[in-house]
Amino acid sequence: MFLRVTDVVAGYRSGPDILNGLSLDIEEGRTYCIIGPNGAGKSTLLKVIAGILAPRQGSIRFRDEEVGGLRPDELLARGICFVPQDPSLFPKMTVRQNLVMGAFLEKDKNVVKERTEEIFEQFPLLAERANQAAGTLSGGQQQILLMGRALMIRPRLMMVDEPSLGLAPQAADQVFETIAGLNGRGITVLLVEQSVERGLNVSDWAFVLDLGRKVFEGPATEILADPRIGELYMGKAPTIE
Amino acid sequence: MIQTLILGVLLGGVYALMASGLTLLFGVMRIVNLAHGAFMVVAAYIAFFLFTELGVDPFVSLVVTMPTMFLIGVVVYRTLFPRLEGSDRYSEMTVLLTFGLALIIEGILGYVFTGIFRSTNPSYNTDAFLIGDLFIPKGQLYGSVASLVLILALWLFLNHTKTGYAITALTQNRTAAQIVGVNVLRTSTISFGIGMALAGAAGSLLSYLFTFFPGQHWQWIALLLSLIVLGGLGSLAGAVVGSLLLAVLAAFVSQWLGSTWSPLTFYLALFAILLVRPQGLFGEKEAV
Repeated sequence: MFLRVTDVVAGYRSGPDILNGLSLDIEEGRTYCIIGPNGAGKSTLLKVIAGILAPRQGSIRFRDEEVGGLRPDELLARGICFVPQDPSLFPKMTVRQNLVMGAFLEKDKNVVKERTEEIFEQFPLLAERANQAAGTLSGGQQQILLMGRALMIRPRLMMVDEPSLGLAPQAADQVFETIAGLNGRGITVLLVEQSVERGLNVSDWAFVLDLGRKVFEGPATEILADPRIGELYMGKAPTIE
Repeated sequence: MIQTLILGVLLGGVYALMASGLTLLFGVMRIVNLAHGAFMVVAAYIAFFLFTELGVDPFVSLVVTMPTMFLIGVVVYRTLFPRLEGSDRYSEMTVLLTFGLALIIEGILGYVFTGIFRSTNPSYNTDAFLIGDLFIPKGQLYGSVASLVLILALWLFLNHTKTGYAITALTQNRTAAQIVGVNVLRTSTISFGIGMALAGAAGSLLSYLFTFFPGQHWQWIALLLSLIVLGGLGSLAGAVVGSLLLAVLAAFVSQWLGSTWSPLTFYLALFAILLVRPQGLFGEKEAV
């Protein structure tokens, strides 16, 4: 199994448990969307897998190795990267410097240079702003830079938390276009997205969480068509029979 | 007028070195290290011992005080600070912790060295360059040049080495630094060590530029806090500019109103900057 999360319990500092024995399996090369109400533990799950938050109980196995409780840099070295919803750029560094920081663990300077140029080729808007401070970019541009920075390490698993949060529809489209192309590069994607419909549209499979547990899972297309999910998470009017 | 300006600038250079370690620790780890002055005084005693017992010049003593204080910093950080990491009031807890640390250091120094005023007295400390009517004290000139060289070395280290990038990344965004693979504990430990090494260097210079005694660190930390608040907490450039500005201002106040009023300059400037521009000259407003 690519990633197996088993009975994970986690919470913040001395606070209550947010994840209450959550289990799920992720196969390689697919895109997964996690949906659920506020407080269900969606972002917390990503933070635990990324090593930002240590699990209190349970196991996280990545490619048959126990990785629960490892530091973020140790997980990144194994190809697990995380794009959080909070502003996580280095605002005073330029776009280019932010990209270079994305390959912080890479020792070969030439490799870093090559990858930076690759990212600039893929995202011309970043190339145009290479020497601009990251803090001065628009929300959409910052999100693209975050994705570009995450790609610098050539990840195996990319976890993206609320990528369209606060973005104009056009900028969000651009971000989702990028996410949709990640599987083609051999990257498995675990996505948390407030716009459930948009998230499910780019995903193969979805997990529904509630109160820190998985309550349902299935193919994204089926969940998208399920009227109960529509009522609960997409703001659709209930069907009267 | 020019004479006063020169003396102010020379002293400001040394203050900048003293403040740089303090502002680095705040920038990287949000630690207000109230023990910074006490660590400077510890280094001053090391330099004093080396000078009086072994005849080692205060500048040569830098090769002892800097690594020694770096190691002390590493041990102190790894022993005490990670325990506070989980606290919701991390910054406040570090203030209390370093306050306690300063008291302990003062107590130990007082027990070992008593409260007698000390100072090393290398030959250049009573000598001066005379350029026309201008009088440039050699000790202050050497101290200021050494300080600026060390600050330049710190700047080069921060901007041209991998560890320096990691420190800069932590200063700008801790979560982002974690996400790109910066080992936060290791980088924080190195930063604390560097901050202490700078306090060590400052102590070596302090040992001959000023007299010192165990309880004097309170005066130093009060002065240094006013410098880094003026410059902008966490900003190295701010620490340098703030130090030069206030030292020059204090030199003029001393000339015009008398030396009694000179120390007051720093505290009045502290109040003024907090009222007018609380983020300091080079700081940025924090989002509420």
